Amino acid sequence: MRHLARLLLVALALVPLASPAAADAQNLVVQVATEPPGLDLTATPASAAAAVVFYNVQEALVKVDRHGKLVPWLAERWNTSDNKNYTFFLKRGVRFHNGRELRATDVKFVFDRALNPETKHPAAKQYEAIADIIVKDDYTITFALKTTTANFLLNMARQGSVIYPREAVDTLKSEPIGTGPYRLGEWVRGDRIVLVKNPDYHVKGLPKIDRVTYRFIPDPNAALAALKAGDVDAAMFGLGPEHIPDLQKDPRFQVIVGETTNDVIMSMNNSRKPFTDVRVRRAVTYGINKPEVVKGAMFGLGHVLGTNVDPLNPYFVDMSGAMPYDPAKAKKLLAEAGYPNGFDAVLKVAPQYYYTVRTGEVLADQLAKVGVKIKIEQIEWGQWLARVWKDADYDLTIIGHAEAWDVANYANPKYYFRYDSPEFQKLFQESETTVDDKARRELYVKIQKKLVEDAPVVWLYIHPRLAVTKKGVQGLWKDLPAPVFDLSEVAWVK
Amino acid sequence: MRRYVARRVAAFVATLFFVSGLVFVVVRVLPGDPALVIIGPEGSPEAAARLRESLGLNRPILVQYAEWLGRAVRGDLGVSLQYDVPVGRLILSRLPVTLPLTVMAAALMAAAALPLGLYAARRHRRAGDYVAMVVSQIGIAIPGFWAGLLLILLFSVQLGWVQSGGFAGWSSGLWPGVRSLLLPAIALGLFQTAVLVRATRSSVLDVMREDYVRTARAKGVSELSVLAKHTLRNAMIPILTVAGLQLGQLMAGAIILESVFALPGLGRLALGAITARDLPVVQGVTLFVASTIVLINFAVDLLYVVLDPRIRYE
Repeated sequence: MRHLARLLLVALALVPLASPAAADAQNLVVQVATEPPGLDLTATPASAAAAVVFYNVQEALVKVDRHGKLVPWLAERWNTSDNKNYTFFLKRGVRFHNGRELRATDVKFVFDRALNPETKHPAAKQYEAIADIIVKDDYTITFALKTTTANFLLNMARQGSVIYPREAVDTLKSEPIGTGPYRLGEWVRGDRIVLVKNPDYHVKGLPKIDRVTYRFIPDPNAALAALKAGDVDAAMFGLGPEHIPDLQKDPRFQVIVGETTNDVIMSMNNSRKPFTDVRVRRAVTYGINKPEVVKGAMFGLGHVLGTNVDPLNPYFVDMSGAMPYDPAKAKKLLAEAGYPNGFDAVLKVAPQYYYTVRTGEVLADQLAKVGVKIKIEQIEWGQWLARVWKDADYDLTIIGHAEAWDVANYANPKYYFRYDSPEFQKLFQESETTVDDKARRELYVKIQKKLVEDAPVVWLYIHPRLAVTKKGVQGLWKDLPAPVFDLSEVAWVK
Repeated sequence: MRRYVARRVAAFVATLFFVSGLVFVVVRVLPGDPALVIIGPEGSPEAAARLRESLGLNRPILVQYAEWLGRAVRGDLGVSLQYDVPVGRLILSRLPVTLPLTVMAAALMAAAALPLGLYAARRHRRAGDYVAMVVSQIGIAIPGFWAGLLLILLFSVQLGWVQSGGFAGWSSGLWPGVRSLLLPAIALGLFQTAVLVRATRSSVLDVMREDYVRTARAKGVSELSVLAKHTLRNAMIPILTVAGLQLGQLMAGAIILESVFALPGLGRLALGAITARDLPVVQGVTLFVASTIVLINFAVDLLYVVLDPRIRYE
């Protein structure tokens, strides 16, 4: 036995202490939590698909840049004289990954297809204002709109508006082709997706690295271990705020804490008692101490939010102080609404998103103090989508809404909030067709005030962007004004 | 024997039929909809409804099941809803991870549990026995995923000997492949090893009390021969029964450990498919696992005959 122990010790001493894989200047390995359910952005609006494809493999005529500005992209410019007819002038010499040059007919094909109900484009609604698409020449195309549409250019920059060659339409789901800085190398289902450099990229000097490997590591602790062991160069989605303080102290890493458009809300079912009564909804809002929620659930990372409009939106008005924590007022409002002793409610959360459960626990504790007794029910994501999101079979729920400019959800009475305010819907419709910036800003101020007043949901906080990379990785966006993951400018710096 | 085999084959077919029907109904009864999961909350319920229709999910369950069964008997397990790849191909692509992982875990289990169980039995109620029992108790108490994380922290993060997860692939050679499966195999086999140590110990103890062992010793047979020929072989039947059941449990354990180690195996495929309500994949994987378990049990039954010539299947 003693011999064996000695032998083992010798063997262990002989094993070389391998250092974590040295950073390779031409490769980047990034961790993502979720594998995309297909890579066709014209079939799935999933953010996991966009994280791989959007801006990296496929691009649109217009781009939301890292500062949140709309900039010309595959179109080198556009003009409109009446806000109803937009003419785009395509950048010349842009080639798809199959070598063919991008032409105006490709753009027409893409949007004709999106408008065709048979293709089941998930964001077809974004294009319904388009009346006609006219190809003027190989590099000029005009979109004629039925009405002025304030968000038309923004919609042209969204992930559903990516331009692909018509001959690749049948393989978009597994082998997307586009004009992006990288083309798809391989997709090993369940393990990784590899993107390789597009040497003919239309922006000179980009991309700066040869190969990006996305590794799907769903478990946050495993993701942290992979980062610390040097197996991944960047952990993009999935690390929790509890990991951040420790990593900030570690000289091997740089931590990116930035803004996003991901507003975490607690929705109240506006069609279900007692939340049909605006006094109850306001009482719940007053009963929540949002700064404490951010502290308790998010380690203090993330900004308290007042309405659906996030700070990266140009029309943002800070409403976070509009309904501050006031338990006395909450109790008074509940009594006025006929609930002097409070009431019971079930909060359904999907633990797939870690913050929902943690936030729920803090909220349950806070609301108990004003008499709202919350029972937390954890349900699996598929169930959440079916029961809460689709059928609105819930009292309360917590989720983050990552999409930018998603105030439209509040104008849709069928959306799972079941918030039905004709006055709000009118304001929203007006904002959709108003293109004058000043007038639109005024409308957005009214929209935000109306939302605060009606309190259809409780806007809790903006989920911060939390990314951690090895020292030397540069070019990543700090803030995410759109839910994208642009790797075109990423490089290793010695 | 021929009648026995025919009976087993009939039972095999019936098991698969039952399992497939059960899974089909259970996945359908669960709230949740593959189209909704694919579209996600970023899309609209209308888009999900359109997708649902195009996936053929609006038809009655029985029609869908009959159609699926009709194709399955011809070897076509359908196409994955989320990956758009034939299910058979997906399963085959995951086997080079899960199969070696399970085999390695089983090999580690046998290599550690048999000697340790035997040692504990020989040292019955002495220090060695107690140590072995405490160690196996710890093995039973530690959940596999936690053991996995601890192993990663020690061998990947601290020592940097092996990668923290992911699969290097067999194309890069035997050693890189084995290396990436080593920690998961240990974590996966830990619990089952601990169970098997106890099963081996108690089975060997039972046999050691038998008259024929005493007789063997009395007539001066060497201790090694007593242990190997007289004790272990006779103790093997219950051990083999436990080990056979454990092989099935190893496959189930792979579901969690493949997630912890980010391995592209069958378990992770199944987990992802359940979350995404990817029915054809759930169905295909379940059938595959059920078939494997039935075959393992069959092999165990046949091994009984080898170990104990008194056993006959007539």
